[in-house]
Amino acid sequence: TLSELMRWYCLNTNTHGCRRIVVSRGRLRRLLWILLTLSAVGLILWQCAELLMNYYSASVSVTVQFQKLPFPAVTICNINPYKYSAMKEYLSELDKETKKALETFYGFSEGKSKVRRSVDEWNSTGNEFFQQIPLLKVEDFSRMATDLHSGQKRKIEGSVFHKDSSIVNSGDSNDIIGFQLCDANNSSDCALYTFSSGVNAIQEWYKLHYMNIMAQIPLETKEKLSYSADDLLLTCFFDGLSCDKRHFTRFHHPLHGNCYTFNSGENGTILSTSTGGSEYGLQVVLYIDEADYNPFLVTSTGAKIIVHDQNEYPFIEDIGTEIETAAATSIGMHFTRSRKLSKPYSDCTETGADIPVENLYNKSYSLQICLHSCFQKAMVQSCGCAQYAQPLPAGAEYCNYKKNPNWMYCYYRLHEKFVKEQLGCQQICKDACSFKEWALTTSIAQWPSTVSEDWMLRVLSWDKGQKLNKKLNKTDLANLMVFYKDLNERFISENPANTLVILLSNFGGQLGLWMSCSVVCVIEIVEVFFIDSLSIVMRRQWQKAKKWWNDRKRGSSGKAPQASDVERQGHDNPVCIDEDLPTFTTALRLPLPQDSPLPRTPPPNYSTLRLETAFTEQLPDTLELGQH
Amino acid sequence: MNLKKYLVRALHRLQKGPGYTYKELLVWYCDNTNTHGPKRIIKEGPKKKLIWFFLTLLFASLVFWQWGILINTYLSYNVTSSLSIGFKTMKFPAVTVCNANPFKYSEVKHLLKELDRLIEAALERILQPMPGNGSENVSPPLDLELWNQIPLVLIDEHDKDNPVILDIFETNQTAGGNKTAMGNETKKKYKLAVKLCSHQGSDNCTYRNFTSAAQAVTEWYILQSTSILSKVPLHERIRMGYQAEDMILACLYGAEPCNYKNFTQIYHPDHGNCYIFNWGMDEEALNSSNPGAEFGLKLILDISQQDYIPYLSSAAGARLMLHQQKSFPFLKDQGIYAMAGTETSIGVLVDELERMGYPYSDCTMNGSDVPVKNLYSQYNTSYSIQACLRSCFQNHMVEICGCGHYMFPLPEGVNYCNNEDNPGWAYCYSSLRSSIKQRQICIDSCKETCNDTQYKMTISMADWPSEASEDWIFHILSYERDMSTNVTLDRNGIIKLNIYFQEYNYRTISESAATTIVWLLSSLGGQFGFWMGGSVLCLIEFGEIIIDSLWITIINVISWCKGLKQRRARAQYPDVPPTVSELVEAHTNLGFQHEAAGTLPRDEALPPEPGTPPPNYDSLRVQPLDVLGPDSDAE
Repeated sequence: TLSELMRWYCLNTNTHGCRRIVVSRGRLRRLLWILLTLSAVGLILWQCAELLMNYYSASVSVTVQFQKLPFPAVTICNINPYKYSAMKEYLSELDKETKKALETFYGFSEGKSKVRRSVDEWNSTGNEFFQQIPLLKVEDFSRMATDLHSGQKRKIEGSVFHKDSSIVNSGDSNDIIGFQLCDANNSSDCALYTFSSGVNAIQEWYKLHYMNIMAQIPLETKEKLSYSADDLLLTCFFDGLSCDKRHFTRFHHPLHGNCYTFNSGENGTILSTSTGGSEYGLQVVLYIDEADYNPFLVTSTGAKIIVHDQNEYPFIEDIGTEIETAAATSIGMHFTRSRKLSKPYSDCTETGADIPVENLYNKSYSLQICLHSCFQKAMVQSCGCAQYAQPLPAGAEYCNYKKNPNWMYCYYRLHEKFVKEQLGCQQICKDACSFKEWALTTSIAQWPSTVSEDWMLRVLSWDKGQKLNKKLNKTDLANLMVFYKDLNERFISENPANTLVILLSNFGGQLGLWMSCSVVCVIEIVEVFFIDSLSIVMRRQWQKAKKWWNDRKRGSSGKAPQASDVERQGHDNPVCIDEDLPTFTTALRLPLPQDSPLPRTPPPNYSTLRLETAFTEQLPDTLELGQH
Repeated sequence: MNLKKYLVRALHRLQKGPGYTYKELLVWYCDNTNTHGPKRIIKEGPKKKLIWFFLTLLFASLVFWQWGILINTYLSYNVTSSLSIGFKTMKFPAVTVCNANPFKYSEVKHLLKELDRLIEAALERILQPMPGNGSENVSPPLDLELWNQIPLVLIDEHDKDNPVILDIFETNQTAGGNKTAMGNETKKKYKLAVKLCSHQGSDNCTYRNFTSAAQAVTEWYILQSTSILSKVPLHERIRMGYQAEDMILACLYGAEPCNYKNFTQIYHPDHGNCYIFNWGMDEEALNSSNPGAEFGLKLILDISQQDYIPYLSSAAGARLMLHQQKSFPFLKDQGIYAMAGTETSIGVLVDELERMGYPYSDCTMNGSDVPVKNLYSQYNTSYSIQACLRSCFQNHMVEICGCGHYMFPLPEGVNYCNNEDNPGWAYCYSSLRSSIKQRQICIDSCKETCNDTQYKMTISMADWPSEASEDWIFHILSYERDMSTNVTLDRNGIIKLNIYFQEYNYRTISESAATTIVWLLSSLGGQFGFWMGGSVLCLIEFGEIIIDSLWITIINVISWCKGLKQRRARAQYPDVPPTVSELVEAHTNLGFQHEAAGTLPRDEALPPEPGTPPPNYDSLRVQPLDVLGPDSDAE
C-alpha cells in the first residue's frame, strides 16, 4: 500500500530528514521532523532558484599586457575637401548666388570695386538655386515669411522645423531665417527649416546645393580635384625612421575629399611600435593651403585626424580630432581592447551577420556603420536615391535634382524621423561585441618656435621643392605627433561568472547541506513517488474495478464475494503486476513489517548473510595455520 | 619470527574485514558505503540492479569529468576585477614642469657656436645652391673637424639605380655647379642624409635617409650637440638650464601660496632642468580633498622663447607631466605640452589598476625580480616599465658601444659618448636604436608593475592673459621677478596652468582571485554531493577498499606462485612425492628457479606423459601458508 511504500522509502532513502520522521517516537518530535524536512526542501528549492536566476551573469576581468603593440591606422584629412581653385568651374554659379544673397540681405561685400563690377553680372546670372530652395526670413508668430531673394511675402504652409529650437523661444522673430523645402508633387506640403543665425542658414543652404553638384561628378574627377599625398604631407617620420607617401593609402571621403591613411594594412603588413614615447610614433608635418579653402563650405582651418583600427571605417565627420595650424599637436595614445559576451549575456553582435541591415561599408561591423547603412537603405527606399555622404547600395545612385527633384524634402523628412528614432534603425542596430579603443590625450605647443621659425620654414620650402615657388607661411603648416604613451594594452573582457559545472556543484552544495541529497535521491524520489505510487494507485483502481465487476456478476448469480479470493486474483493477474517492480512485489509478499520487531531490509540481506558465513568458515582455517 | 607473527596477524585482521574474495569485498563495500549509488545496486532486483549499476557508473564518470574541469579552472588562476569610482581625499599627483628647450641659448652659445655656423653654412649651400654667394669669404673659416665626424650628405636621386652622393662641403667646387643646374630645371630629387661611419674606417658607413631636410638637420644637430654637451659636467649643465626662480613666476596650491622653493629640481637630459611639485621625497605628499580648479595647483610659468636653441627644439612650450610620488618623470612618453600665451586647465582622474602578482598575472611588485639593472634607482625613484626599458637600452649601449648615451643615466664606471673618445658612437647608437632584436630583448625582460596608475587628463585651453589685462599682468610679474619696472615678459613666453581633481577623481580596478582553494574544495564537494551524495569520507572508504583488494591480490598471487611451484616440483619428480625439506628448498629459492633451474627440468620432463593430475587445492592451501614463514625469513 501507499503507506507501506512511504515507510519503506523513508527508512531506506539516502536523504537524511525522512528517516527521522519514521524513526522518531512521540507525535511532537515527529511533527518537528516533518516541519524541519519540509523547510529544508523549501530552502533547497529557493536557493536553487536563486542560483538558476543568477546563472547568466558575467564577471569582468581586466588584464594588462606589456608587449609590442600594433600601431593603429591614422587617417588624416584636410578640413577643406577640394581645392577651391580647381572647383571653380563647378561652383562658380552657386558661389555667385551665395555672394549675392549675402550682399542683398546683409549688406556684405568683399570689396567695393568688386561688388560694383559684379552687380551687373548678378543681374545676368540666373537664380536657379534660389528658386529651388528659397531662403526666407520668417516672422514666427504671424506665420508669414519674406522671400529674401525676390522680397515677396508668402504664407507658410505645412510644418515648421526648428534647427535651433531653444533660440526660437526668445521671441525675437526678426532674426529667424530659414529655407523652405516643398514636396515637388504636392506643392502645398512644405516644410520650413529655420535657424537662429544666418551663418548656419547660409552654410546649410550652401551645403545642400553643394552636395547636389558633387553628386554629379564622377569619383575619379573628384579625386583629382582634391589634395594629393604630395600636397598634404611635407615630412613623415615613424618609429625613428623616415617614411613617405608610400606608407599612406588614399581614401576618398565624400565630405572631406582625399584623406590619407597611415598604416592602413592594405599591403598586408601592419606596422608596430616597440617603444612608447613621442620619438617612436608617427610625426608628420602637414601642408594646409589655407588660401585655397572654400569660403562657404568650411569656416575653420586645419586638418582632421582619426585613430582607428585597420578594419574599421574612419568616420571622420563624426569622431575626428581637429588639428590647429602653426602648432605642434601631440597626441598620446593609450590602447584598450574590450570584449563583451554575446547572447544570452548581453545584446551585442559578434560579426554583424545577424543584423538585418546590409553593411554598405567595406569594413568590419560597428554600430556607426549599421546606423548609416540603415539610414541609407531607408533613403533609397523612400526617396529613390542615395544620400551623398554615405556609400552607394547596389543599384542605387546619388541624389541630384536633375533626376530626383524631390530628394531634399524627402531627405529632411527622413532625417527628422531618424533622429526621433522612428525609422527603427536604433532598435535594429546592436553594439559590436569587441572593440578597440585608443584613448587620446591631446596637447598643443607652439610650432615652430619664434627662433627656429626662420630656418624651419626655409628648409621646409626647399623640401616642398621648386614646384611651389613661394615661401611657406607658418599658418599653412601643422605638425602632428601620434604616439603610444606606453605599451601597456588593457584588455577588458567579460567572462561568464558561472559555468554549468559550477552551477551543478552549487546545486550539489545546497542539496548536500540541507538534506544530504544527491541526484540519486532525486531519482529515488521519482521512482518512489511517481512510478511506484502510480502503480499502487493503478492496482487499487484495477482491484476496485474488478471487485465491482465481480459484484455485478455475483449479484446476478447471488453468490457472496470473497475478498481474499479477489486479492489473490489481483496479485496473480499479470496485468496488475508492473513488470519493472520486482522490489515492490517481493516487498509485498514478505511478512508485514509490523510483525517483525525490527524493520528489516528486503531480499539483498540474504547475500550479505551468506558472506558472513563464508568468513566464519574460513577464519578458523587460517587461525590454525598461524598457530602452527 | 617477530616479523612472521606480525604479518600473520595483519593477515587475520584483514580477513576479519570486508571479505576474502573480490566479490565479497565489493558487495560489502556497496552495502556499507555512504555514497548513494552502490547501495541501490545491491538492494534492488535484477533488472533495476543493471540500471543502477549503469547509473552509478555514469554518475561516477560525470563526477570525475567535472572535477577535472574544476581543477583546471583553479589552476588557470583566474581573477575577478572590481571597479570602484567616486571622489575621495587623495594624494595630489606629483607635477613635473620643464621647458621644452633644455638650455638657455645665451648660456650655451659658446659651446654650440661652431656647430651653428656649420649648419648655417650647410643650409645656405643646400637651399641656395648658387656658387659665389660671397658670404663664405666674409665669415671666418669653418672648423670642418666637427663636420667630418658626422657629415650631412646630399643624395642625388636623378638616376634611381645609381644615386650620387654629394658631400656638401667637400664637393663644393667640383659638383656644385652641376648640381645647381639640374636642381633648377627638374623637380626636387635631392635627399638629405646623415652619413654615419664606424670608427674602424670610413668604408664601413651607412646613410640615414630622410624624406625631409628639416628632419635630417634636426637629427644631425641632436647627434652633434649631445656629443658636445656630454663633455660638460653636470653642475655646469644645471647652471646653463632654466632656474626655478626665473621659470616659476607664481604658484598657488588650493588657498595656500607656494613658490619655486616648493619644487624639487631634477636634471632631465631631454629638457634640462625640470621642477617637480609634491614629489614626496623629503616631506609628506599633499592631499587634496576637494574637486575643482579652486582647490588645485595654479602655476604661472615663463619659458622665455627668445632664448631657445634654434636648431634643437622647434616646438615651443612647457612640457609637463603628472605622475606618482617617488617615480621618475618620463616626459617624452607621458608628458604633455602647454602652449605659450594660453591658460591650460587640466582636470585629473586617477585611474588605478591593482593587480595580484604571480601566479595570477605576470607583473612585478617592485622590480626586484627583473633581470635588468635599474639605472634610475640613483634618483631614489621606484621601478617603472619605462625605467626598465631605458636601463636595458643603456646597458646594451655600454656593452656594445663602450660608452653610455647622453639621454639616459650612466652605469658605474662608464662615460657618456662623445666624438673624440668614441668616434664611431653615432653609428653604433643608430644601428642599436633601429635594431628590432635589441628592442625585443628589452620588452621580453621587462615586466610591468602590478599597481598601474594613470592620470587621465581632460585638457582645455583659453587665451591668457586677455588683451585687456595683459599690460598689468606682465608688469607685475616682471616686477616681481626682476625687481625692475621694465616689462621683461611677453605673450610668447608666459603660460598659466591649472591642475585639479575632477568631480570623480578615482577609478580603481582591483583584482581578486576568482578561484581560491576554499572555492575549489566546495565546488568539488558540491559536484560529488550533487551526483552521488558523497564526501571525503566516501573517498577514504573507497581507498580502503582498494587497499583491501590489493591485499587480496597479494595473497592470491603468493598462493598462486606457491601452487605453481608445488605443481612444478611434482612434475619434476613424478614418482617420488616431495619431502618437506625439498619443498622448503624449492620455495626459498624462488628467485632464481624461474630462469635457470626452471627451464632445465622442463626439458627433461618433456618425454614423460603430460597428464599430471592437478594438485589438490585444499591440501595445497595449507602448505603455502606453512612455507610463508621461511620465505619471509629468508628475505
